[in-house]
Amino acid sequence: MSAIDGLLYGLSVVLTYQNLLAAFLGALAGTAIGVLPGLGPVAGIAMLLPVTYSLSPSAGLIMMAGMYYGAQYGGSTTAILINMPGESASVMTCIDGYKLTKKGRAGGVLSVVAIGSFLGGTASVIGVMLFSPAMADFGIMFGPAEFFALTAGGLLILSRMSGGSLAAGVLPMALGLVLSTIGEEQVTAQNRFTLGFNDLRQGVELVALVVGLYGLAEIMSVVETIQHQVKPIRVGLREMLPTRDEMRRAWAPYGRGTIIGFIFGLLPGPSATMSSFASYRLEKAVSKYRDEIGQGSIEGVAGPETANNAAATSSMGPLLSLGIPFGSVTALMLAAMMVHGVQPGPLLLTNHPEVFWGVIVSMFIGNLMLLILNIPLIGLWVSLLRIPHHIFLPLILILVVIGSYSVRNSMLDLHMLLLLGCIGYVLRMFEFQLAPMVVGLVLGPLIEKHLREALFMSLGDISVFYSSPIAVGIWIAVLFIMTFGLQRALLEKLSGIRFKRTALGNVE
Amino acid sequence: MRHVARRIVQGLAAALVLTAAPSAQAQDYPSRDITFIVPFNPGGSSDPLSRAFAAQLEKALSRNVNVENKPGGSATIGTNLVVRANPDGYTIGLGDSAALMYQPLVNKDLAYKTTDDYEIITKLADVPGMLVVRPDAPWNTFEEFLADVKKSPGKIRVGVSGVRSISDMVVQQFNRAADVKITTVPFTGGGGEALLAVMGGRIEGAVGYGGNTIAQIEAGKLKVLGVFAKGKYEPVPNAMSIPDAGYNATIPSGYSVIAPKGLPNDVREKLVAASQEAVRSPEFKEFTKKNGFVLDLKSPHEVSAELGELRNEFVGLIEWLDKKSAAK
Repeated sequence: MSAIDGLLYGLSVVLTYQNLLAAFLGALAGTAIGVLPGLGPVAGIAMLLPVTYSLSPSAGLIMMAGMYYGAQYGGSTTAILINMPGESASVMTCIDGYKLTKKGRAGGVLSVVAIGSFLGGTASVIGVMLFSPAMADFGIMFGPAEFFALTAGGLLILSRMSGGSLAAGVLPMALGLVLSTIGEEQVTAQNRFTLGFNDLRQGVELVALVVGLYGLAEIMSVVETIQHQVKPIRVGLREMLPTRDEMRRAWAPYGRGTIIGFIFGLLPGPSATMSSFASYRLEKAVSKYRDEIGQGSIEGVAGPETANNAAATSSMGPLLSLGIPFGSVTALMLAAMMVHGVQPGPLLLTNHPEVFWGVIVSMFIGNLMLLILNIPLIGLWVSLLRIPHHIFLPLILILVVIGSYSVRNSMLDLHMLLLLGCIGYVLRMFEFQLAPMVVGLVLGPLIEKHLREALFMSLGDISVFYSSPIAVGIWIAVLFIMTFGLQRALLEKLSGIRFKRTALGNVE
Repeated sequence: MRHVARRIVQGLAAALVLTAAPSAQAQDYPSRDITFIVPFNPGGSSDPLSRAFAAQLEKALSRNVNVENKPGGSATIGTNLVVRANPDGYTIGLGDSAALMYQPLVNKDLAYKTTDDYEIITKLADVPGMLVVRPDAPWNTFEEFLADVKKSPGKIRVGVSGVRSISDMVVQQFNRAADVKITTVPFTGGGGEALLAVMGGRIEGAVGYGGNTIAQIEAGKLKVLGVFAKGKYEPVPNAMSIPDAGYNATIPSGYSVIAPKGLPNDVREKLVAASQEAVRSPEFKEFTKKNGFVLDLKSPHEVSAELGELRNEFVGLIEWLDKKSAAK
């Protein structure tokens, strides 16, 4: 079946009221999951898993996919409005998004994000449709050595991502790496730093860290300063829409974010979160307005939010065409297929075309629904800022506690949440960056795992790290990005001209 | 006087209610929802297995059976919770053979050591490991593969899901039985990263389990050389049984249902009967067949004996491995 036939066939599958309803409810639930701080897509989908079992296989999977990309739409909302990421893929959005809200641009930014999410998601579906059989093999091209380059290189690049002094970024990142070593390491299942508490073997949960650092710490600092609420100026239609300038500046990040997100989605790992880190860092390196990023610029929001949507969407590709899940959400979807009696795998397209094309085409429609759903909702979200603090903060506190507990039903995570909230508060007081700590916790275990796997695989021969062309390519790119500033300075000195723009900056 | 009499009557009534309460509770069991703890993440193959079982147990007991995921610590965190729960029949869980038998050998901080520390309700299923290679690999039979392993000891690499995981142990069992050296490479993604590495030609083979691996074999993306189980394994009927060829390598990934120690007798009987009914139901049979699980209905005593044997096997293998690494 060609892509066009598939599209038409998929449309015939999706355009039944049951499947349309599944897409809509999934997208709606996903938006809610994304908006609520602490409650991320994995926990949300796991909670709604039993519901999807009562639907047909296609409707169940359409609903789950809807929740995943819907959560990427919603995740940015609280990040932008109250500096609390709705889920971990929106950590980067806090930095610039919240500063823009303080400038009174909340409505405009939310619109820019909704449009970017839509564009990223839709472009990514087209990519999945066109390349789905071929791209199953893309993941195969990546082994431990390539992933080691990607994650270790990523850590190097991201150590200086949001400005501030070197220590302000590196210390929290080191702290994140330290936290990531707690618990049972994956390769040989040894306990590290568990102090004899069996529960500590599960390690520090990412959601507890994100919610503690941002959610709890933010609540504490608001209470402490008794700061005046960010008074949302009466939101008229004009404040709701992005200005012409904002839209103009968003296009290039949209494009770059889509490409980054699409590629990360095809690779194993927490791809939505990693793609948002990568996109932010790329904007910081190549954007025309890179100097403004970190101070409240539209690029720092548009790029990552487009990327995480593109990644959430394209991660369906390997699941559907290869039957191997690359992340927690797709693993859940795989489990749902098994319960439904649909065997996931390369034969899915042949044996269950209704599932394959149904899910893909539903993502077009779901993304459209989300756009239509989200633009009018922006007014509502912004008006949340008008709720008095003494009502709003306790509500948020309840939500973050429920959300953190729901990830793996663990009391330990709540204790961690409290502890990390205090750590986050202290770090903020001394003006440390918080995002690098999240990066450390995400990448630390991955770097270790890939390093060890690669060495196991090569029987201890370290040439495995530089004998693969892809790994070498990644390291060169890392080097290039890390020395970007130096290269620019050198060029200016040599030619005697002040380069205002770099070649890469004009990618649009 | 009347006052006292009333007191006595009241007291007697209260005593009656109190003594009647436990037996009434057991007779009425289950009078509320039951929690079924799964010591793994949703996703993977043990969660769907648990949910398929819970759905049938619900029917057999006419009560909701709520599945709760308590992942982490090589499945010991969830298992600990079940072992420590109130023994009233309202908290039961999935028992993973590695978490039950292997973990207590290496971890002193667990609430259980042997099968005496919890109750086994029923066996659910086994999943045998399959040795898979690339479809264009030079070996078409297990014998050819073995010949190459003998020719270049330690050079043939097989992906497993972690050092001393079930898949690693079954390969070591084979190494010991055949007196050869296959090197195991841990891939811990849980999402079939070992299979990806085989497809990408990074390692020679992998031990794969269940529907995920079967789907790749059916699609011609992987080739199966042998199965680590006696007899024919239905999903890949043409694959050779490695133990039948004379190499004792049989550790399966096994699942049972466990409950905390000290269940009231009638509660246990009811739970065992209902669980066996659930395992025998056509829906559960259909699920296991489709996903490569081998149904294995055993009584609690048989499961206990089986786990005991498994423990001895683990102990022996670990000693053998330690001796080998000491000899190096």
